Amino acid sequence: MSNKIDRILLALMAVVLMALPFMASGYVIYVVNLLMVFVVLALGLHLVIGETGQFALSHAAFYGVGIYTAGLINNLWHPPFFVSIIAGGLLAAALGYLIGALALRMRDIYLALSTFAFGEAMQWVFLNWQSVTNGSNGFRISPATLFGYALVSDVKAYPFVVVIAALLLWATVALSRSQLGSAFRAVRESDIAAQAMGVNVNAIKRTAFTLSAAYAGIAGGMYTLFASFIHPESLGFQTTILILTMVVVGGIGSVRGAIAGALAFGLISELLRQALSFQEIIYGFILMGFMMFAPKGLFAGRAARRAPPPATPLPAASRAAATASKSPQRSAA
Amino acid sequence: MSTHPYLDVQGLTVKFGGLTAINGLSMQVERGHIHALIGPNGAGKSTTFNCVSRYYRPTSGSITFNGADITGKKPHEMAALGVARTFQNLELFGALSVRENALLGTYAHGANSVGKLLRPAAAEARERVEHLLERVGLADFLDTPACSLDFGRQKMLELARALAISPQLLLLDEPAAGLRNREIETLDRLLTELCERDGITVLLVEHVMQLVMSISDRITVMSFGEKIAEGTPGEVRSNPRVIEAYLGKGAAGG
Repeated sequence: MSNKIDRILLALMAVVLMALPFMASGYVIYVVNLLMVFVVLALGLHLVIGETGQFALSHAAFYGVGIYTAGLINNLWHPPFFVSIIAGGLLAAALGYLIGALALRMRDIYLALSTFAFGEAMQWVFLNWQSVTNGSNGFRISPATLFGYALVSDVKAYPFVVVIAALLLWATVALSRSQLGSAFRAVRESDIAAQAMGVNVNAIKRTAFTLSAAYAGIAGGMYTLFASFIHPESLGFQTTILILTMVVVGGIGSVRGAIAGALAFGLISELLRQALSFQEIIYGFILMGFMMFAPKGLFAGRAARRAPPPATPLPAASRAAATASKSPQRSAA
Repeated sequence: MSTHPYLDVQGLTVKFGGLTAINGLSMQVERGHIHALIGPNGAGKSTTFNCVSRYYRPTSGSITFNGADITGKKPHEMAALGVARTFQNLELFGALSVRENALLGTYAHGANSVGKLLRPAAAEARERVEHLLERVGLADFLDTPACSLDFGRQKMLELARALAISPQLLLLDEPAAGLRNREIETLDRLLTELCERDGITVLLVEHVMQLVMSISDRITVMSFGEKIAEGTPGEVRSNPRVIEAYLGKGAAGG
């Protein structure tokens, strides 16, 4: 995100976000709070799918872990809110680390299916662990506090939500420019070649899962800053798909794509809630439209967009040759 | 220089299920040499190569590099030991720029702590990489995605990326395959220079005899998983067993 347009867009966004509380109603602030949560969710999924190329379909589960952990800790002990948020982020990260083990054994559609199964299992846990989550009834959470200052409304929570989102955006950009970011992309492009560069592919995959889950957990904590009630309804596959849509339609592999996708689809899904029964249908048509007319997303990674078709057949075949045919003897990496 | 060989392969056997791909191969590569591994298709060259680079695990046998047993090493541990490799059918990071591809070569030495990992590659590394890319003729393509280079340049990029590792031992799997004559000549010059000026030891698997005969100090010939000959290009060229392996029985008679 180094070019001029990005800077101007960022500055513009900052101005709008700063001016908003003085000119908008509570509902608009609520929606922006929600959009900030979506931005963080999308950034987290961008790390694991966009940067590292690992198809993890369990993002809503980590989001839920963040929501419940932060909400429960808040209700039990009323610590400064950042403590509950960090706790939610850490627990989600720990779970992400464990689930990352799946990525060491499988790839592509198999990984997608198994992480999907994990996501579904977690929703079942949210729904049925009565003593902790109160099942489908959910529970009320008392306002988050910071040293006696209670965030009783959307407007009061707003600055904190925005600052957390901004911090994580900064972290994502820094990460993407770091050598760890390069290692993520190397694993995405060719894990065989990545190994030859000295990249510990397994460790990198696990790191990506862990970080991605931490982002989702923190997003859950952000949600508890302005929500007064939590229930498991929106923590299933639908939400994972919504976040996936943000990342893919925004432009897979690019930070600005993830943000644009989060803003656009967060807004669309919120607006469509008024349409009730038509919601899914309209949403489906919008999605199909994007896939037909902008298959690489609104902000496809610059390389992907500029690249003409390869002059010669590229590595796909060799990858198969190097991994599949002689796999029994391959060193366990 | 020490008395033991730089790269020492002893009794290497690789079995894929019931198929014996390599049967008790022993070979030594001397420091500073360009050593070629040749043989007809299916002779086990690439398998040997993949054992040395640790991508395959041998059924039995040992591999020693620079005095240390590397038989149990993982592929990602080789770069830090100073062993770089290229791939038979190219394994570039397609969507990444030429520069980022080559910069990843500096990863093993430049990102070996959490602090470094979380920072961009160091300025010296960037400079060195640009210099390397210039050396292989890619100075004008630094920001081009690797996948949109033509085939010859992709091969050169893979070589530059391997060199960015600062290897002591460079493993090249068919570097000349698919290259045009002019490109092979460039490769010839470059490899000779790497060996003589930079002191890099090279082990290459190659079918392009023009290159093999021109640059190799020593050649090991394999056929059906076994070593059938070894020596200088001149010795190997006139060895009847080699001629037989390539051209069939009777061809060596004349």
